[in-house]
Amino acid sequence: MFEVLVFATLNGLVTGLLLFMLASGLTLIFSMMGVLNFAHASFYMLGAYFAYSISLYLGFWPGLLIAPLLVGLLGALIERYGLRRVHQHGHVAELVFTFGLAFLIDEAVQFFWGPDTKNYQSPDVLDFPLFTLFGQEFSAYRGFMIGISVLIFIGLYRLLTRSRVGIIIQAAITHPHTVANLGHNVPLIFMAVFGVGSALAGVAGVIAGPVLTTFPGMATVLGSIVFVIVVIGGLGSLAGALIASLLIGLLQSYAIASNLGVADLLNLFGLEFSRDHLLTDLWTLTLPQIAPILPYLLLILVLIFRPTGLLGNREQ
Amino acid sequence: MKKILTKSLVWIGYLAVLLLLPQFFDSILAVSLFNQMAIAIVFALSYNMLLGQGGMLSFGHAVYFGLGGFLAVHALLLIEFETVYFSIVYIPLLAGLVGLLAALFIGSFSTRKAGTVFAMISLGIGELLAASSLIFVSFFGGEAGVSGDRTYGPPLFGVEFFQGIEIYYLAAAWVFVATLFMYLFTQTPAGRMANAVRDNPERAEFIGYSARRVRYISFCASGFFAGIAGGLYALNYEFVTEETLNAVTSGRVLLMAYIGGLGYFIGPILGAVILTLMNSLLSNYTDLWMLYLGILFLLTVLFLPKGFAGFIMMHRVAWLQRRIRKLVLPYLATAIPAMVFMATCVLMLELSHIEDESISVLNMELSASSSSTWLGLLLIASTSMLVTRRTLPALREAWESANHVADEPESKS
Amino acid sequence: MSILTLNNVHKHFGETPIICGVNLNIEEGERHAIIGPNGAGKSTLFHLISGKYPVTEGTISLRGQAIQNLPPYEIARRGLARSFQVTNIFPRLSVFENIRCGLLWKMGYGYSFWNLLGRQHDLNTAAHGILDQIGLSQRADYPAGELAYAQQRALELGIAIASGAEVIMLDEPVAGMSHSEAENAVALIRRVTEGKTLIMVEHDMSIVFGIADRISVLVYGELIACDTPSNIRSSEKVQEAYLGTVTADE
Repeated sequence: MFEVLVFATLNGLVTGLLLFMLASGLTLIFSMMGVLNFAHASFYMLGAYFAYSISLYLGFWPGLLIAPLLVGLLGALIERYGLRRVHQHGHVAELVFTFGLAFLIDEAVQFFWGPDTKNYQSPDVLDFPLFTLFGQEFSAYRGFMIGISVLIFIGLYRLLTRSRVGIIIQAAITHPHTVANLGHNVPLIFMAVFGVGSALAGVAGVIAGPVLTTFPGMATVLGSIVFVIVVIGGLGSLAGALIASLLIGLLQSYAIASNLGVADLLNLFGLEFSRDHLLTDLWTLTLPQIAPILPYLLLILVLIFRPTGLLGNREQ
Repeated sequence: MKKILTKSLVWIGYLAVLLLLPQFFDSILAVSLFNQMAIAIVFALSYNMLLGQGGMLSFGHAVYFGLGGFLAVHALLLIEFETVYFSIVYIPLLAGLVGLLAALFIGSFSTRKAGTVFAMISLGIGELLAASSLIFVSFFGGEAGVSGDRTYGPPLFGVEFFQGIEIYYLAAAWVFVATLFMYLFTQTPAGRMANAVRDNPERAEFIGYSARRVRYISFCASGFFAGIAGGLYALNYEFVTEETLNAVTSGRVLLMAYIGGLGYFIGPILGAVILTLMNSLLSNYTDLWMLYLGILFLLTVLFLPKGFAGFIMMHRVAWLQRRIRKLVLPYLATAIPAMVFMATCVLMLELSHIEDESISVLNMELSASSSSTWLGLLLIASTSMLVTRRTLPALREAWESANHVADEPESKS
Repeated sequence: MSILTLNNVHKHFGETPIICGVNLNIEEGERHAIIGPNGAGKSTLFHLISGKYPVTEGTISLRGQAIQNLPPYEIARRGLARSFQVTNIFPRLSVFENIRCGLLWKMGYGYSFWNLLGRQHDLNTAAHGILDQIGLSQRADYPAGELAYAQQRALELGIAIASGAEVIMLDEPVAGMSHSEAENAVALIRRVTEGKTLIMVEHDMSIVFGIADRISVLVYGELIACDTPSNIRSSEKVQEAYLGTVTADE
């Protein structure tokens, strides 16, 4: 039991931090432009595919550097020539634009790389067990994933709170006009933030690709979960995004690792139901089965009872 | 009086088109296409009640469509096993009521706010139900779905609904009635206040209306009509899967309504027809049609924010001024090189994707491996793009002169 | 008798007090102006009365019925209509539709989805009547968002009176208008609020003193005076706290 708990926690941590890498970029973009970017997970997928293609020629490590840069560049271009154009038509148009973009990127990935799963491998250097607990191995690559995520969080936090650029960005989030009047190029800042946010998603894709497999559906799998996270955490709150990411990562990981079902719950109360009943599905429900819907359940509850999210303070 | 007459004529024309279409195109393929269009029209119109009329952006509208569809297919099963006995023509109504019921429940908490909060709740509920449908196998049938048979019910005037064409007339009748009622809804106090709340929820509250209640009413009506569309879907295919209530279907209806034009009642009808046509015609010729659809959608959002209907309505002023003819030549001058550009791009995409070595176009064999082909295509593409750009200023000028309205004398106020 | 009564009304935003114990009686049929320097809390007071914000403490009653903390639509149904400092109309609806929406609740349509608007003869006649009153008949089919500024303000006034309210509250109705536009607007306000109770916030003193029966002076969330224009003009307290600074500035 204890070993299950330890590994579920570790796996939950890996997923949670990975989710945070996506969520942090999304939150940053949202607080800046007031737009939830539907295509954010598509940038994550592009990161994995770019890195895969690069790794075929240059190996894993150059891909880790180049792929996020490419994704960031693409993001900045999309902001400049797409999003900025629809901005004048309001938030619904922007949301719909990013929705269409996600759709298009999915199709484009299938066009360029085909519909099958790519054999994108983690580097050999990290192909050893980091430690062994209760006879189970924890791979060094997963440790590396945790390390990178934590480094990025610290880096981002320092950049936003300590550097001059970070202070300008923070000011531009709340008072874009004032910042513009101070002589800063606000559209350029917007473009840069969008680019950096996309690049962060790209990094997440690069390091997640080998573990979660690189295939055309990988954006869809994570896309709505990341949305759920930024909303639960509170739109625009970086700390909220971190908490929500870990919460969802751990929640899902525990739910999958546990083997509890409704039947066990009913037995606990001394109840028993016959198996061939119209509602059989309900009695035989187990936690691993409902793991995928937990985040959405949480989302709806949060939105009903606390529409601003856990740590959010702005409501649209 | 004249207004009522024109309006009645429009509706009679709509009915005539619905009834006469299969007389002109009676192949099985055409009829199945019309059936799909009929379903899509009701679904897209119901979506527009939310987004276009009420300002609620939903990413989970398939929930009501899918629930209606599943109930309809279970109703077919009940008829088949003789638990109940009634004609299948009423099934869309039942499906609509299920959609309404679901909307009554979900809307009770989701319509409190419009905007991002509403969009996120709709997304969450859509994902929740899609995932749940795979868990509750006895009702939703899991991955395999549920199938039924529409021919067991009592025949209506001797029609037993064996053939697609019989279903088409059934669907056409429902489409007409549903369209009419959705139109009439826009003309009622609740429908008009939905527009008002979309524009300015705060102001609406200060003239005595609860914005939440107004949204709730539109939301329920929209769920009802989406359910009807789902019922028609089940009758047409006799087979419903998880896909009818998941994000793919929700996304498709958003695409239809948006490409057609949200602000206009006729927009979603246009969108439904165009997308269904694209879906079934293009998919016969190319694997890439989804890619084209994505490109079309993004181009629409970028350049025609009011959709196709909005593009048509843009010409109203020029039409009223009787200057529409002035626009024909400039339009052609821009459209022809633009078409060449697009055709060349499509050709390049297809060439790079195709498994055979070559494609024959206009009696020419284009080989995917020869660099001269690619050079030639690139040359044509860049030239046609340059020409298109050169024609734009002239088009803009023609547009402005056609739309120029002599300043009216300012009315005294 | 007084139609609107504020009793010890307080409003805090977090720790910051904005309105500190306002007592005010407004008589039926009077034209009441609220003046005060910027940031005195005039708009906040309007928002409290009309239900946009809940009060922190105190009571507000309309015809003896408590209305504090009711949602805005409940207050509107009890006969209180208002305009806003920033133009607040339905921009994508036509001018005619804007007015008709304003009429709907009073004429008993509620949330009806079974009456067709086009068939409601009384409703449409009433809407055209109001359009005539505010001089926008010729613009009836225009999208409201495309009207000129002064016309939008007139439309907003039209929406407010369409509700048939007995108490009309106008927040800076002539701000941002040219001199002649403002003159027209004042004449319009006089005309359409005939026989009703009018409460307005306005900065232009010539208009305030011209139109008001009584004037309240709000400074830093407190009502320092409430009297007839001539008494206000001569009050030393007001001179000191408010008018004095204005004259000194000009």
